[in-house]
Amino acid sequence: MTGRTDGGHHGDATAPEETTPAEHTIRSVWRDLRALDVFVYALYAVTIAFFVFPVLWVVSASLRPPGELFSYPFRLLPPELSLSAYRQVWRAGMATWLFNSTAITVLGVGSILGVSIPAAYAFSRFDFRGRRGLLGLILLFQMISPVIIIVPLYTVMSSLGLLYTRTGLVLLYVGVQTPFSIWLLKGYFDAVPVELDYAARIDGCNRLQTLRHVLLRPVAPGIAVVAIFNTVVTWSEFVLAYTVLGTESSLHTISIGVYKFQGQYGNDWRAIAAASVVGMIPLVVVFLGLQRYFVKGLVEGALKQ
Amino acid sequence: MSTASPLGERLRRGGRRVRSGVARTWRRSLDHPLSWLAPTLAALAIFQLYPIVQALRMSFTNESLVRPATQFVGLDQYVRLVTDPAFWEMLRVTGIYAFASVFLHVGLGLGLALAIDYGVRRGLRGHLTTRVSVLLAWIVPGIIIGLVWKVMLVESQFGAVNHFLGTVGIGPLPFRSEPTLALVSTIAAGTWRGTAFSMILFYGGLQRIPRQLYRAARVDGAGRWARFRHVTLPQLKPVVFVTTVLVTIYALNTFDLIFALTGGGPGRATQVLALFMYQEAFESYALGRGAAIAVVMLGINLLLTGCYLYAFDVREEL
Repeated sequence: MTGRTDGGHHGDATAPEETTPAEHTIRSVWRDLRALDVFVYALYAVTIAFFVFPVLWVVSASLRPPGELFSYPFRLLPPELSLSAYRQVWRAGMATWLFNSTAITVLGVGSILGVSIPAAYAFSRFDFRGRRGLLGLILLFQMISPVIIIVPLYTVMSSLGLLYTRTGLVLLYVGVQTPFSIWLLKGYFDAVPVELDYAARIDGCNRLQTLRHVLLRPVAPGIAVVAIFNTVVTWSEFVLAYTVLGTESSLHTISIGVYKFQGQYGNDWRAIAAASVVGMIPLVVVFLGLQRYFVKGLVEGALKQ
Repeated sequence: MSTASPLGERLRRGGRRVRSGVARTWRRSLDHPLSWLAPTLAALAIFQLYPIVQALRMSFTNESLVRPATQFVGLDQYVRLVTDPAFWEMLRVTGIYAFASVFLHVGLGLGLALAIDYGVRRGLRGHLTTRVSVLLAWIVPGIIIGLVWKVMLVESQFGAVNHFLGTVGIGPLPFRSEPTLALVSTIAAGTWRGTAFSMILFYGGLQRIPRQLYRAARVDGAGRWARFRHVTLPQLKPVVFVTTVLVTIYALNTFDLIFALTGGGPGRATQVLALFMYQEAFESYALGRGAAIAVVMLGINLLLTGCYLYAFDVREEL
């Protein structure tokens, strides 16, 4: 719709009237569009139902009084609300899980940014021998899921004395999550003209000052994307955390805690639902606030390529 | 220029005061890429490169968490693997899971990206809610997605899905204890999570198609379908390819969701590669055998990465 006016001077005039009469075309396009609109609205409705219903259902199940998972007739909002399932989760150690997950996520994302911003700067602004090979290797690492190397990672962590430590897990996250972050950030650095660097250097900035005072602002959307993405990944991560912290209940993250909890409570669906709600709410709240920046940053980054 | 000068003035004065010694070393070290890359290189060497080499080495041994002495056994682990019917069963399950996932993620992701793009251009309401609800499913931790679907798919009439099936006369289905249905359930849960990723990539791809192409097509009398067929699809082809490869890799490495939803069961009905490896290594304590499976996974991943690089034409980026 937006770009129509500037191309209009010869566009509409040369429309192929010989194939279909203009009047007929307009009418059929109008009808066609309306049908498509209705179809798209229907698709939106089905999509929202499919993606939101499971979450609503779990919230609903978690709020039911003991012994009642279902009420006839079907009601999403249970007739009687009860927090007893949440009390069960709280007693199982919810506060510990939330604390550990928060601490690991904050430290992890901070360290990942601290390591990958300088690296992305170096790959964008230096020309050194082995640069391309190193970048290729990092791309390769990015494609290798940490699940694949979980067995040797376990022995590495064990021989470094990092098993059953949160610090170890944070370091491990830095190792497995920086490749993607570096690649993404490098794209944003590349999009900033080097002339900006030159100007800052002439004004007497060293490289660190150039990065801090000149480059950080234009790459901020990229940093936001990397921070949001890593927050989601770190908070949700299970298999590495389970392998590194697994048996030590005081170190459990939310994913491990919830998983062990459901193992204990077998068929108590209300309790499992409550544990699930606890595990997703913090991330959902953070993400609902930030998803605009996430999508915007990603689309902008994609546009640059 | 004018905006940069007060800053530069301040910094230059600072710079002049410290011309020698520590300051010069500091400044010189900043001009060397290694100072910027050292933490990255250390992290990658310890947590990526070394483990990959280690996986290869371990796959030639009988290393175990319960046996003290480790011996070199050559290709034994691989021979035992390919002669084990469980391995082939697991490959079949992984193949079905990956194929169905790719088909659904890419198909739904493309459909939704087009619908949202259309909605934005036409000014339809609800495109933002749609986008956010799809993304919402994506950020829920994998373990919790497994549990959410466990609660949805409770096998009595108290399960939400079984209740709705009951109202149209279909009896309660054993979603997690019947082999085929269990696999279908994991695929459904995986699609619930994974569609968002393809959708974002496709949406980004759609924004990159030059508008002039559509204008030109319209001038040539192309209808809506013709414009989609001859402009959108060809322009989107690289994105479709890249997305397909990434989703395949992602699906092949799925772990947490299935771990929580079915644990690989019933029997081996939903035991994908990653789960198989994990259970061999940490539940049977056979690290060597787990490493051999890891090397198989590594091979598949590298092959797919090759496809990705071929499409992405990475040389431009380097």
